[in-house]
Amino acid sequence: MSIKDIYAAVLEFDSDQVVKLVKDEISRGTEISVILNDGLIGAMDEVGRLFSAGDLFVPEMLLAAQAMKAGLEELKPHMKQGDSRTKGTVVIGTVKGDLHDIGKNLVAMMMEGAGFEVIDLGVDVETERFIQTAQEHNADMICMSALLTTTMPEMGVTVETLKEKGLNFKTMVGGAPVTKEFADQIGADGYSPDAPSAVEMARLLISA
Amino acid sequence: MHQFASYFSQKEIERVHEASLEVLENTGMYVRNERAREIFAKGGCQVDNQTTLVKFPRKVIEECRKSFVPKYKFTAQDPDFDITLPDDRPIIVTGSSAPNIIDPKTGEERRATSTDIANIAHLINELPGFDVFSISTLADDAPEGQFSLSRFYPSLKNCKKPVRSNTPNIRDLEMVLELGELIAGSKEAYMERPFINHHYCPVVSPLTFDVESTEAIIYLTEKGLPVYGTIVPNAGMTSPMTMMGTLVVGNAEFLALSTLIQLIRPGAPMIYAVLSTVADMRTGAYVPGAIETGILQMAHTEMARFYNIPSGGYIGLTNSHCNDAQSGYETGMNTMLALMGGADLFNMGGLLGSLMAFDFGKAYTDNEIAMMLKRACRGMEFSEENLCLDLIHEIGPGGSYMDKLHTVKHMRKTMYLSKLAYRLLRDQWIRDGATDTQTRALEKAIEILKQENPARFPEELDAKIRSHFPGLVPGDAIF
Ligand code: B12
Repeated sequence: MSIKDIYAAVLEFDSDQVVKLVKDEISRGTEISVILNDGLIGAMDEVGRLFSAGDLFVPEMLLAAQAMKAGLEELKPHMKQGDSRTKGTVVIGTVKGDLHDIGKNLVAMMMEGAGFEVIDLGVDVETERFIQTAQEHNADMICMSALLTTTMPEMGVTVETLKEKGLNFKTMVGGAPVTKEFADQIGADGYSPDAPSAVEMARLLISA
Repeated sequence: MHQFASYFSQKEIERVHEASLEVLENTGMYVRNERAREIFAKGGCQVDNQTTLVKFPRKVIEECRKSFVPKYKFTAQDPDFDITLPDDRPIIVTGSSAPNIIDPKTGEERRATSTDIANIAHLINELPGFDVFSISTLADDAPEGQFSLSRFYPSLKNCKKPVRSNTPNIRDLEMVLELGELIAGSKEAYMERPFINHHYCPVVSPLTFDVESTEAIIYLTEKGLPVYGTIVPNAGMTSPMTMMGTLVVGNAEFLALSTLIQLIRPGAPMIYAVLSTVADMRTGAYVPGAIETGILQMAHTEMARFYNIPSGGYIGLTNSHCNDAQSGYETGMNTMLALMGGADLFNMGGLLGSLMAFDFGKAYTDNEIAMMLKRACRGMEFSEENLCLDLIHEIGPGGSYMDKLHTVKHMRKTMYLSKLAYRLLRDQWIRDGATDTQTRALEKAIEILKQENPARFPEELDAKIRSHFPGLVPGDAIF
């Protein structure tokens, strides 16, 4: 048994096995950061590589992320300040009046897979709920999805309200009819046309 | 066509029906709309208002099935354009509600306006392949409070064929109906010939009725106005990743929707419109142009035939972002599968990028595909006379048919005479400018757009409408 097995279990989407192996490693006194970086994160990096190469499909990436998360939950109580793996906390949802959630779900799941703490509020989400949730969870960013030109302005309302309240959560917007120009116009911090680049953008914005 | 292509035996079809009933009875559906829950409860369904879960006993559904009717009519402003499913099949409709348009002058994609809608309406009125104008785009220039009016007014002003589309809320819907009544002359005259044809997506797969679109379906069904819904399961995302699993989910959702409609008004006409697709799991993309869409449409059409109701809807959409080979084969192959399977209705015209943008060249090309589908449907025309036995004997072995009156008599109708396909040899093609399909299609469309539109409203009526709705967009076709 070794870290390699954890890595392999993530790549086999075997959550139970990941949990078991992580527990074993902890009890054997293995460095937490080694389990985290060489086991869990290392495996997700490989998953990302295989996804980019077209060898893994979306559901495989999501299952791997779930397995990784299960292992992470085991590690959390043992982690010290410096070990923290979460890349940031993100509140995401489809804006008020809009029920389209397939793209939003994809973005949420990929962010989760990439190591963000994601709070998904679902569809038809009002500005107030976005903001309240972000405050409660001390989030870094609010992500909004809209698939209707009629609901896109809701994104602007949220950005505006944040400004009025002097809150500086980062904002990122997307959805088929949303463009970079629109994002700039309403003053959102980020926009991206698809889920993989949304993850990249989130990394950039949160580390900035 | 006497017989349709089929994937299933009678027994298999019955099993799919049974399976759908099982889903509705055991799993049930969330019904977010309160009035719909009331209607279902009154109709004998088990309703949990807390969770909004509704379970459908099979006898409720089977009872509602008895009032299904086999026909659905699209009424037009001009009665000559009235059209009925399935009698007039295949019925070709434009794709609707795209936010964008490929500007015919610059080739750039931009937000569409009410003037674009007027121009598209003019074009569709002229193109013989299209039977119904489903309002192709949104109007980005719509004045505050006139989102739907800015789409329906330019459409009705410039197109005498049946006009079809949706509205985001009841307030918009009522304004649009008011417009219809103004055009008809009175409420009574409008109810006699309701030439606005309504369409909504009340179901969010898997197994959920929404609030707003469901409200519109209830409202219109109660009033006896024409409305139907499209159900949109997407395998791998909102339905199972097998063709059969997705068929069952879509079919169950359709049965639930038709139960709602029949409980409100038994005998209300419906269309079995289920647009099932398979998601591309490499990226999660929505891909209506994939061949599986046509396969699923054929399977759903077999179910529609089992229920004896007209079938079809969105089929022949493409993911391509320009009117290229992909756009042609995706529209062509999927509509052909649906036609062979017996579908009656084809919402296929003019859209690119999975419903995101309208293109005039694509619309003209789809008119061509529409004409080919209609020709394919006309088929072989079996008759003793058409066997031409006397003629075959007269010409004999080694003769020619080229200079015969018989040929002259039939040649203009035996073949669909394409105005778009290039059919001469390469040298001639080069001399003619070596154009591709899109270049020719766009030219032809622009030729039509430059002409005066004969279908416009009379001045008097227009003045009446404009004073009734102050601030209305111009709505004129100008190119
Ligand atoms: C499937 C679908 C539906 C389903 C939704 C099911 C669901 N659970 O989501 C149903 C049938 C319920 C539906 C309903 C309606 N729909 Co609809 N729908 C679509 C369709 C065909 C595909 C959307 C989709 O799933 N795409 C696949 C995903 C993976 O792509 P995506 O959402 O674009 O997401 C990607 C990117 O945009 C980005 N992204 C998305 N969100 C975010 C967020 C952030 C922060 C970032 C960074 C990135 C990002 O990353 C994603 C992954 O790569 C689109 C057309 C289209 N091509 O988009 C129409 C479309 C959006 N719908 C449309 C319409 C008109 C409607 C209805 C009004 C129809 C009606 N009259 O009932 C209703 C409205 C309901 C409502 N209130 O929201 C119009 C929109 C017109 C407009 N007003 O702007 C469209 C364009 C189709 C059309 N031409 O008619 N619809």
